[in-house]
Amino acid sequence: MYINACSTISHQNSFRNENWINELTVLEEGSELITPNYKEFIAPSAIRRMSKIIRMGLTCSKDCVEQSGIENPDAIIVGTGLGCLSDTEKFLNNSLTIKGLIPPTSFIQSTHNTIAGQISLALKNHNYNITHTQNSLSFEHSLIDAILCLNEEDSNVLVGAADEDIPLLGELINELGFKGVSNHLTSGASFFMLSNNKTANSKAILVDSYTVGLNSSDPSEIINAFLTQNNRSLNDIDLVLSNSFGSIGATEIKALFSPIKVTPIEQYTGYHLTNAAFSTHLATDILHQNATTKSVLIYNTLYNNNIGLTLLDSLEA
Amino acid sequence: MSIYITGVGVISAIGLNTEENYQSLKDQKTGIEPLQFFPSEKEILAGEVKLSNQELIQQHNLTAPISRTSILGLIAAKEAWKGNEHNSQIRTGIISGTSVGGMDNTEIYYEQRLNEQNPDISLITTHDSGNTTERIAAELGISGYINTISTACSSGANAIMLGARLMQQNKLDRVLVGASDSFSNFTEKGFRSLMIYSDEWVKPFDDNRNGLNLGEGGGFILLENKKSLDITNNKPLASLVGWSNTTDAYHQTASSPDGKGATLAVEGALKKANLNPSDISYINAHGTGTPNNDLSESTAFINIFKDKVPPFSSTKAYTGHTLAASGAIEAVYAVLALQNNVIFPNLNYSIPINETKLVPETQWNDRNEVNAVLSNSLGFGGNSSSVIFKKV
Repeated sequence: MYINACSTISHQNSFRNENWINELTVLEEGSELITPNYKEFIAPSAIRRMSKIIRMGLTCSKDCVEQSGIENPDAIIVGTGLGCLSDTEKFLNNSLTIKGLIPPTSFIQSTHNTIAGQISLALKNHNYNITHTQNSLSFEHSLIDAILCLNEEDSNVLVGAADEDIPLLGELINELGFKGVSNHLTSGASFFMLSNNKTANSKAILVDSYTVGLNSSDPSEIINAFLTQNNRSLNDIDLVLSNSFGSIGATEIKALFSPIKVTPIEQYTGYHLTNAAFSTHLATDILHQNATTKSVLIYNTLYNNNIGLTLLDSLEA
Repeated sequence: MSIYITGVGVISAIGLNTEENYQSLKDQKTGIEPLQFFPSEKEILAGEVKLSNQELIQQHNLTAPISRTSILGLIAAKEAWKGNEHNSQIRTGIISGTSVGGMDNTEIYYEQRLNEQNPDISLITTHDSGNTTERIAAELGISGYINTISTACSSGANAIMLGARLMQQNKLDRVLVGASDSFSNFTEKGFRSLMIYSDEWVKPFDDNRNGLNLGEGGGFILLENKKSLDITNNKPLASLVGWSNTTDAYHQTASSPDGKGATLAVEGALKKANLNPSDISYINAHGTGTPNNDLSESTAFINIFKDKVPPFSSTKAYTGHTLAASGAIEAVYAVLALQNNVIFPNLNYSIPINETKLVPETQWNDRNEVNAVLSNSLGFGGNSSSVIFKKV
C-alpha cells in the first residue's frame, strides 16, 4: 500500500514543510503546538466552535485531500486515545454547574467520533467511517483497519489520529504520581492518504501494522514473529522509531534492536496517546528523502504492555 | 468464508442474562422505570440495569475501581464466552464498543473535585474507553488483538463487523465482539440539551413520539470461523452474513430527511450478504423514538423495500436507548429471533408516522419462519451501520 499524502500538526514545524525532518528539535518543557492558519482550511464561522482536536484533525485531513487529489476517499478512519477532552470537560462542567438548560454544542462535540464525523461533513463523504480508541494503540488499530479496507474493495483510504492536551490532564497525571511528565504532555494530529495505486505523489510503502494488547510474552518474540510474517528479519531494518513513557525501557529498547539505530520519538512529540502517527509521518519522509534508508520499523510501547508494530519500506525497496 | 455465532450474552434493563431478556420480550415487559440506583434530583425515566454497582461487583467477584460500563460489558462478555477455553491454535481477539467509557466514574470524580471534597483519584483511571475493553479482556484471559470502537450509537454494530472482517482476512479465528455503556448524568443531560429526552415512555415509530429514554447495558456475541469450530466443537446459533458502515454526512447529530446514510447501510449489508430485500424476515430497527431518527429510518425502509417493508420493530421501548451497546444488545435479540422464529413487538405504538404510514409489529409473532434479520444502528457523526444475521 502506498502512502500518497501525509500531514502533521505537532510541536515541531511539521505542517507543509518538506524539510521538517532536518529541523527536528528536542522539545523543552512547556513547548507549544505549532498551528497552521486554520482559516485556510476551515470556514471562520465554524472554527470558533471547534476545539483544538477537531481543528487539527480536519485541517490535516483536508491537507491530505489536497496533496493527493483524492476528494472522496473510500473510507475515513480515525484513531484517538482520549477523544475530544476539551468539549467533554466543558460539558461535564456545565452539566454540574448550570441549573436549567445547557447549551448542546459541547455535548455534540464530546463524542470520540466527532473528528471523523466532521471530516465526512466537510468532504460530503458517505463511505465507511469509524473511530478507534485503544489508548496507545489507537493509531495502529486505525492503520490495521485501513489495510483491511484496501484489501477489500477500497482504493483510497484517509486514515489518521489526533489527541489533545487540556490543563486538567496534566493536573491529573501529577496527582496520579507520574513525576516530570505533565510538562511534556502535548497535542498532535497526523493524517495519511493510503492507496493501492502508486502515483507521482507516492512517498513510501506501508507494509503492515500489528498490535498486541496486554502482552505477557518476550517482546523480541513478538517483533520476530511480525517480521517473519512479512518475510523479513531484523537485519533488513535500517531504523527503528521507538516510543515509550518517561525513561522507562529506553535502554532495554536499544538492547532489543542492537545494533540497529533506534530513535526515541517522544523527545520530539512529547506525550499523547497517538504519537505513533507522528512516527509514521516521520518514517515516510525519511524513506522518501533519504536514499540509504530502505525499511523503518515503528516500535510503540508507550503503554508498557501494549505493543504496536508498523513496518514501512521506501518506494525503491 | 462463513462467520458463525456460537455464544451470546446480554445484560439490560429487562434482564441480567439472555434468558431473562427473552422472557421480558415475550411478556412485553418494559425495563424503563424511574431511576432507582442512580442518584438524580428529579424523576427520570430510564432503562436501568436493576442492580447496584456494589451488587454486580460482588456477584461477579470484581475489584474496584471499575466503571459500570466495564462491569456491564464484562457480564455480557462472560455469558457469551461461557465454557470456552484458550487454545494456541485459535487466534482470539476482543472488540468492544462504548460511547462514554468510564464516564460514570469520571463524573463522580469531577463533581468531588469541583466541590473540593477529597476527590478519589482512582476513579479517573477508568475513564478512557480502551480501559473498558482491557478490563473485560483481562478477566477473560484474552491478550493480543484488543480494540475499542467509539462511533457513538453505532459502536456495537461496528465492533461486530470489524470482527467479521478480521476473520475474513485471516487475522483472527475467533473474536468476542460487543459493546457496553452505563447510564450517566453526562449523557442524560446531553440528550436533554438536544431536547430529545422524553419524560414519557418512549414511543418508537409512533406519530406522537417525542424523544428517547436512555438505557444502559452490555451485549456480546462470540464469532468463530470453521477452523475454530473444528477445535471447539461449538454449535453455531446463527451466522453473520452481511454488514455495512456508511455515513449520512448531513449533520453532526441529526439524520437526513431522505435517510441517505441508513439507505446506503442497508443496501451495502444486503449486497455483502448477497440477499434480496425480500429475503429479510424481520428488521430490528434503530428506532430511538426521536422524531428525527424514526422518520429518517422509515424513509430508508421505503427507499429500499418500496411497498414491501418486512415486519419491523424497535426494542428501545424495552431497554431504553443503550447508546453504543444498542447494536450489540440487538444483535443478541436478532439471534434470539432466528432461533425461536419470533418477531418482537414494538411497545407504546398507536398511530403510524404521518409521512410514511409504516406500521411496526405490535404483537408477539411466532407464526412465521424467521430466516434473516436486519439490525440497524444509526448515530452521532452520521455513522450508519447495518448488519444481517441468518439461520445457519
